[in-house]
Amino acid sequence: MSLEELCKAVETGDQDKGKDLAQKLVEGGTDPLQIIAALTKVMDEIGEKFARLEIFLPEMMMSGEAMSKVVGVLTPHLKAGGGGEPKGKVVLGTVKGDLHEIGKNIVKLMLQVGFFEVRDIGVDADPITFIKQAEEFGADIIGASSLMTTTMPHQKEMIDILKDEGKRDKYKVVIGGAPTTVEWAEEIGADLYAPDAGSAAKLFTDLLKK
Amino acid sequence: MSNPYRLWEIQGRSNTGPFCDEDEFLPKIFAPRLREIVNKYEIKYDPKTPVPTDDKMADRIWQAGWELFREVGLYNTDTHRIIKLSDEEITEALYATSDRYWVGAGKDAVLWKHRSVEDTEPPFCIYSPDCTCSEELFYSYCLAFLKEPLLDGFCAPILEESMGQLIRSASPFEINGCTEHIYKMRLAAKQVGRPGTFFVAVGTAEHDTGQIAVSNNDWGVRTTDSRIIGTLTEFKTADTLLNRAVHCAQYGCYSGNLTGPIYGGWCGGSEGVAVALVAYSLNGLCIYGTQYNQHFPFHLNWGSNTTRELLWPISMAGQAMARNSKLLYTSNGFANAGPMTEMLFYETACHALVSVVTGWHLWEMASTRNKFRNRATPLEARLGMEVGHAVARQGMKRGQANEIALKLLSKYEANAGDAPKGAEYQECYDVAKANPTQEHYDMYRKVKDEVAKLGVEFPF
Repeated sequence: MSLEELCKAVETGDQDKGKDLAQKLVEGGTDPLQIIAALTKVMDEIGEKFARLEIFLPEMMMSGEAMSKVVGVLTPHLKAGGGGEPKGKVVLGTVKGDLHEIGKNIVKLMLQVGFFEVRDIGVDADPITFIKQAEEFGADIIGASSLMTTTMPHQKEMIDILKDEGKRDKYKVVIGGAPTTVEWAEEIGADLYAPDAGSAAKLFTDLLKK
Repeated sequence: MSNPYRLWEIQGRSNTGPFCDEDEFLPKIFAPRLREIVNKYEIKYDPKTPVPTDDKMADRIWQAGWELFREVGLYNTDTHRIIKLSDEEITEALYATSDRYWVGAGKDAVLWKHRSVEDTEPPFCIYSPDCTCSEELFYSYCLAFLKEPLLDGFCAPILEESMGQLIRSASPFEINGCTEHIYKMRLAAKQVGRPGTFFVAVGTAEHDTGQIAVSNNDWGVRTTDSRIIGTLTEFKTADTLLNRAVHCAQYGCYSGNLTGPIYGGWCGGSEGVAVALVAYSLNGLCIYGTQYNQHFPFHLNWGSNTTRELLWPISMAGQAMARNSKLLYTSNGFANAGPMTEMLFYETACHALVSVVTGWHLWEMASTRNKFRNRATPLEARLGMEVGHAVARQGMKRGQANEIALKLLSKYEANAGDAPKGAEYQECYDVAKANPTQEHYDMYRKVKDEVAKLGVEFPF
């Protein structure tokens, strides 16, 4: 039982072994923050390999799921020690009329392993649903994905409704998806354009510092 | 018999097939099963050979795709159930389908036939920019494409606005945009003297309501035209897509199954993409009842398919289907570079060459990864189709195609991740006359002459 073994379990996507080892390590007195730091390094390396497509999505998702399970084990210990607060809360979905999910799901995983709390509202989500879910969840950020040109206007529609309801300043709005661009984000008044999943956690973190 | 195959028996499985939590379908069912199948059939990607000549591996890929389709099926995200077929049903559907269709109307009708590996019959050429365009350029775009001599079918760009208002999917604006879309296509076809041209329309419709609203043999999408029905990546469908399949069957128009398996995504690498392409084709035939398949496998990071990790699965899946079925399927190019760049011409030539020698028909060309408005033109597609005709007419073999493909790849592959965006349509075409500018034409001619020197024997 060692931190190296735990890192290996996360790298290979072995959820059960990861949970088991994390539990034993923390009960054996290993600082949960030290565990998180080591696993964060592992996930960074996995993220870089995935960005270069040296590994593919199934492997990256398995590692991410294993990491999420380990974080679940460690969270009570982190909170007991006064740490482990999420970086922020995100409501994430694909806009109305659009059924594509792969990009949104990768972003979700990247945010979760980057210590964001994410509420995934799925695909074909109405602008009002984004806003209501953000209200209920106490979100800091609303992330809206679109993969079709004709569904991009729903990103704008959501921002327009936020303005109309006087809630625009309450949330940071991030948009992304294959046909979207930084110019479109600026045109519709989004706070951030997310060009890819790999950079999402860092960009979201920076956004909340503004 | 013409498709659709056992329409209501298959549709009914949306309600009666095995239940599955959507979160589990891809990671727990699809990805591990595909990985097992790739290993079982010993499918191996070789980056040095974008056009392999391994007939046995092509046959194994066919078997692997069949097994994947039978084992995994198609997931309906509305009912959370999986539509599955038996070996007997797949065999029956493959036997019953036709290997040729007359498409289009009158003097402009064309016979579209199954192709074999190294076939000397030219490919069926569908021209499509695959991009969105400004409303004021749409009509010129239609004219420019419909003037292309080798055009057998046409899919127009996607309108972003209609009557100056943004088109929002599933709204009345989408129906209005679809109406404008097909009317302008019809008028353009008439003006250039090809009124019966086979259309794949309308791309402006993301929702089923937009598609269904323009089915009309007088002014709209005719029964001699085609619709595209998408499959969600990977191996998922939804009622809005099945609605289209039923509508096409009952209206009586042609339909194609649109799929984009992702290299680096749930399919894994090149081997998984090749197997998925075969499986998707069986899905199109058996579940959507389509007469052809329209495939655009693409790279997760770049959104293109002109690099070798995508050319290999295109090549292998093409051979697998050519050797083992009588299906019709188009290879949809996605290039990294934009219009009026030499890189785009090289990419298109390479994609067309590899596709045609391995049994595909052509659907060219999504320039600039179809991401940017107005950044595609008929001229790159023209070069692709001319390469396709030349490759077939001269009876090019796979070995020679492989050598030429490697030479073409050396001209652009290193720049795939950082390709030039090039020009917009109105910057390299005379919009009023719908002809390429001299500068643009000269660049096309220069690259065409270079490709000819590599061994492609253009008829003109």
